Amino acid sequence: MNSISRDGITSIRLPQLRVERRAVWWWLLRSLLSWGTVLAALLSVYAIWPGTRPWLVVPLVVTTLVLLAKIIVEPWWRYRVHRWEVSANATYATTGWVVREWRVAPTSRIQTVDAVRGPLEQLLGLSTLRVTTASSYGAIKINGLDHRIADEAVTRLAAVAELTEGDAT
Amino acid sequence: MNRPKTDPTWRRLSIRVVWVDLARSILSLVPGIVAVVFVGTEFSPGVFWPLLTVAAWGLVGAFFDIVRWAFTRYRVTETEIERRTGVLTRRHRTVQRDRIRSVDLHAKLRHRIAGLRIVTIGAGQQSGAGESAFYLDALSVHDATVLRKELLDSTSHITADEAPPTVEVQPAASEPAHNEKLLATLRPWWVVYNMFSIWAYLTAAGLLWGLHWLLLMFNVNLYAFVSQLADWHSIGWFGTTVVALVVIGAIGAIGMGINFITSYWNFELAQVRTGDKTYLRTRRGLFSTREVNRDEARMRGMSIAEPLLWRWMGLADTNIITTGLSLWSMEQPTAILPRGPVKVAREVSAQVLGDPSPLTARLRRHPMAALRRRLWWATWIGLAPAVALIVPAATNTVPIWALWVALVALPVALLGAVISYRVLGHAVVGDYLVVRSGLMSRSTSALLRSSVSTIAVRQSILQRRLGLSTVSAMSAAGWGAYEAIDISSDEAVSLASQFAPRLVDEFTLASTKR
Repeated sequence: MNSISRDGITSIRLPQLRVERRAVWWWLLRSLLSWGTVLAALLSVYAIWPGTRPWLVVPLVVTTLVLLAKIIVEPWWRYRVHRWEVSANATYATTGWVVREWRVAPTSRIQTVDAVRGPLEQLLGLSTLRVTTASSYGAIKINGLDHRIADEAVTRLAAVAELTEGDAT
Repeated sequence: MNRPKTDPTWRRLSIRVVWVDLARSILSLVPGIVAVVFVGTEFSPGVFWPLLTVAAWGLVGAFFDIVRWAFTRYRVTETEIERRTGVLTRRHRTVQRDRIRSVDLHAKLRHRIAGLRIVTIGAGQQSGAGESAFYLDALSVHDATVLRKELLDSTSHITADEAPPTVEVQPAASEPAHNEKLLATLRPWWVVYNMFSIWAYLTAAGLLWGLHWLLLMFNVNLYAFVSQLADWHSIGWFGTTVVALVVIGAIGAIGMGINFITSYWNFELAQVRTGDKTYLRTRRGLFSTREVNRDEARMRGMSIAEPLLWRWMGLADTNIITTGLSLWSMEQPTAILPRGPVKVAREVSAQVLGDPSPLTARLRRHPMAALRRRLWWATWIGLAPAVALIVPAATNTVPIWALWVALVALPVALLGAVISYRVLGHAVVGDYLVVRSGLMSRSTSALLRSSVSTIAVRQSILQRRLGLSTVSAMSAAGWGAYEAIDISSDEAVSLASQFAPRLVDEFTLASTKR
């Protein structure tokens, strides 16, 4: 439980900090809104147009299973996996549930640092720390931070990143 | 720093753009006039609308070009290039000169006749974001050449006044010889590589459509003519389809061949050293000319893609991985060679990236588990169409044989799995990380290790069970992410720390188990 790759020649340790416990609710509500809408739409089509019923059985079953997994399993699983750390040299985070991922971005390559708060996050007092590098795929998103902690991290990172010269590509 | 002297006054585009638009508009009416005057076709909007549209388009274009000409100014200062444009929305764009990655001159036939060049300046846009470049449409050949010199030649002291006042049709040919090294020139037989593709049918459709409308003006109906050529009823629908596919395909292939010859005429790739900078320069074109200068300091690697269907003939597309050039542009500014033999692509890569080329290095094969993962997914993807049809088939919504047809997807998917496994490979060669993957197009990319800005290591549940990981190196250049897919998990961290040592080491643990 101490490292992701258990018996590698070298392995990587987990980031030090965990996300807020409230993030569980955020993941749950998010899944409910997205996949719940899809399920509701499919059910309405099923109810209104009988002609489409033979085609909708498999999609309905699949959507229901996905929704159940996303509200029962995903939030808790993600809470166990998601961790983060901002050191002087790099930002490091682990994310995901079915597909787990760890990312490291060097501070010297940071282009922007944002704290983003969507409507659900505002409701729960959470914030997402988003660190982007010059690569369009290279952004690190750390969901489920307390908004004060995220703001503090933004200030700290922005101050360090400013010291680096060049256009960071 | 030795900055060139520059002329900070505001300069204008060339007014000749407007004359070009008007001339095009008149020229496009010529076939119509010929048809009416000499052949005696009756003028009817139903037949002439394509021509009238082109002519009207030319007039509208001329109007907008007048407006654009009147309201556009640009200037080059010590540190930046600025452009003001727009009537209702005034735009003022400034680009730092040290962020300029490329200066690209190109001209369509009409620009060449009028002595004009369109200048595109590639600066620090994110290549993936599809941001518009800094565009000057159009300058006179003289102004364009002066501008390019000012921007690229950071040590030359040329100004607009000192530049030779002669207007050259081929500005490139009479430039002072810098330190130039020719890397590749066009071989005429490369046309074979560029004739056969699915786009041939689109080309043929365009050609036939144009021909149809042109002939219609001369009272010739192409469709009726073709209908009379043979007794299509006796050949049957299958035979007719085969004949149509072959004939249209052949027309398309010839069209593609001609198109290739005209656009890559006189193609050459050269390494040009001016002052303290090195550029990879391509020149090409018979009617429309195009010259692209790519700053080597912005280059982060190179990639060679070999499409699956043409791998047997060794066909390859060669692109450089660089920042600031759009991959989505139709003009493909990152392509430094036309589609051609992979052998040439590898030779060029050795000259650009250093000999021996990282792209020809022996790559590490990926573990057998990677094949198992591919077969697992291929099984499910291959079964998916059949599964989706089970309920409809059981309720007789679709006939039962549709299920068997859907099962054909399975062997195809399994074959794809094997092919895509055999393609996989990775290595760290000198300063480069080399990765290879891709089913439909086997693409080998060498990315400069120092350009990696983010490292990500990914593992799905299945990958974890099989002991596999996918390592991505993110960079501002090229596609933005280059991945070593499905390497053994044991190797993932050590690979990451090999190509970006200072970054990962802080978080790594020495292993307890060797």
